[in-house]
Amino acid sequence: MMRYSEDLLGRQNADGGWSYHRGGSWTEPTCYAILALATSGASHTAEVRRAVEWLRRCQRADGGLAPRESVPESTWLTALALLLPPELDSIDRKRAEAWTVEQTGRESGWVNRLRLWMLGADSSGDSLSFEGWSWYPGTAAWVGPTAISLLALEKLEKRGRPEDGAGLRKRIEEGRSFLLVRRCRDGGWNHGSTRALGYDSDSYPETTGLALLALHGTSGPEVTQGLARGEQHLATCQSSQAASWLRLGLGAHGRTLPAPADAPGKQTVEGTPALPMHGGVMEIALAALADAAQAGRNPFLDV
Amino acid sequence: MIPEPNGFTRRAWTKATGIAAASVAAGSIVSEESCARSPQRVQPWAPVSIYRAATYSEELYDLVRLIITEHSLDVRGKRVVLKPNLVEFDAHTVINTNPKLVHAALEAFRAAGAAEVRIAEGPGHRRITLDLAEAGGYFATVPQFESLFTDLNLDEITRVHLVNPQSKLTSLFLPNTILGCDLLVSMPKLKTHHWAGATLSMKNLFGLVPGGVYGWPKNVLHWAGIPECIADLHALFPHAFAIVDGIIGMEGNGPIQGTPRSAGVVVAGASPVAVDATCCRIMGLDPVRIRYLQLAAGEHNLSEQLIPQRGERIATVAAHFAVLPALEGLRLPS
Repeated sequence: MMRYSEDLLGRQNADGGWSYHRGGSWTEPTCYAILALATSGASHTAEVRRAVEWLRRCQRADGGLAPRESVPESTWLTALALLLPPELDSIDRKRAEAWTVEQTGRESGWVNRLRLWMLGADSSGDSLSFEGWSWYPGTAAWVGPTAISLLALEKLEKRGRPEDGAGLRKRIEEGRSFLLVRRCRDGGWNHGSTRALGYDSDSYPETTGLALLALHGTSGPEVTQGLARGEQHLATCQSSQAASWLRLGLGAHGRTLPAPADAPGKQTVEGTPALPMHGGVMEIALAALADAAQAGRNPFLDV
Repeated sequence: MIPEPNGFTRRAWTKATGIAAASVAAGSIVSEESCARSPQRVQPWAPVSIYRAATYSEELYDLVRLIITEHSLDVRGKRVVLKPNLVEFDAHTVINTNPKLVHAALEAFRAAGAAEVRIAEGPGHRRITLDLAEAGGYFATVPQFESLFTDLNLDEITRVHLVNPQSKLTSLFLPNTILGCDLLVSMPKLKTHHWAGATLSMKNLFGLVPGGVYGWPKNVLHWAGIPECIADLHALFPHAFAIVDGIIGMEGNGPIQGTPRSAGVVVAGASPVAVDATCCRIMGLDPVRIRYLQLAAGEHNLSEQLIPQRGERIATVAAHFAVLPALEGLRLPS
């Protein structure tokens, strides 16, 4: 964890945020870097305070957060920022929460259902039955933003969000159903398209790990199959970042994972391939978060 | 390059406004700075070359040099960006543009005097692009790949406004690496596509749209109309050069789940519409029935006779690519 923290601090931009790899700051890597540093016990350092200041500048008038300062639109990243510990006082959480709760995928709305009905297409399928979250407003819901939004709303619920408790619960349940319906035939998850023109699509390791993380506490045959697929993915995974998501997802269901080994420039977990790390901030932060989760501190789930 | 105070580089601004002036006929873009329209139009189509290439061999290095010479591409002192199509973690299938062809292009443009040649891509489904490139054989094939590569999903960005768009979009954020280059080289795989009919040099431009803003997939393009967005992106970069990897293409349920199909060709040219129309004919598809080609061509005729052809004739390399039953209507009339 320490080696990852030092690496992250060395990559912080002068404005307080982090880039994905190099260049200007973006909201997503900044959130993951803050989360990793906070998990390592560095919540109150000057570096984290500067990062939080930067993040505030990405909150828009509608309460949502934009992907970076130069983008005016709020997107799914609002939910990611809500995963940060509240004591950081990073953003106006109430407005960000309200923004997130209001978002739904365009495909499940009545306008699209009417459009499909008028076109003679099937508008009653399971894939349209449950409301998830989109990457970008006005578009369809997908696995990635739905999983992150679910995790954020669950934290709100656990903290005892005073207003609209029933509405929050309904969104959480719908979000879980959305993920279960969007499972691929092989048991895992891809970006959220399980069939195209009648052909089954394969799952990806990274989205399988993320979906499993969001479905923590959920059981049933679908989740059992998902866990089995996740373990298969981890055994053959070619990406450090994907392996981190799998470790987070499998660990959230109590699956025992071999301890991570210390190998500079590589992520190594016994029994899995040694995976090269390319130095991306997401890659480093997620490796730190996966290590922390294995050590018993999962910041995606802990309140 | 030193960014301007507004985050838009001087080179990018010059490029974007220049693009706008040159691409008005197609109904195109301009940068944040509005740009005057002109009646200029691109006609007739630039020549399209078809070269035989049976395998991904060392001969590709000479072949791309020949392409640059034959098409009189003067890249001396210029910044060139090669945009392959990277889709999946797999070095052994035909989903991705083969790294050997991309490396051949890198070497050829360097030899032609380019000041800088970069490789850039922004995949639509898989987020972890460097790992994807590694699994796709790019690290093993292209020395110092990582230092030459830009993930377009996560690059610096500038918003550009679309003028007379065909889609429902009015503006798009785009990567500065692309806006700032002097020559964009679209290097797709020759593949059928289950929504668009065929995925070639124009559809390959979907990879320019930053996932960091719009997500994975770039679903905003789907809701705005896939063919229309392809035409709009083409209108932003009408002078992109195209080099299509048709050595082993993909037929059937492309662009991901199809099956390999050896076509044994590399197709190249300075008019992406003409290159893609020619590729369609090689696959046995009628370009006139491909909606995005219709939109991009506008009133210009896509007739085979009006596209100057070099190298092999279409008839001598034509391969009858299998398509999904729903797309049989796209076939060339027999």
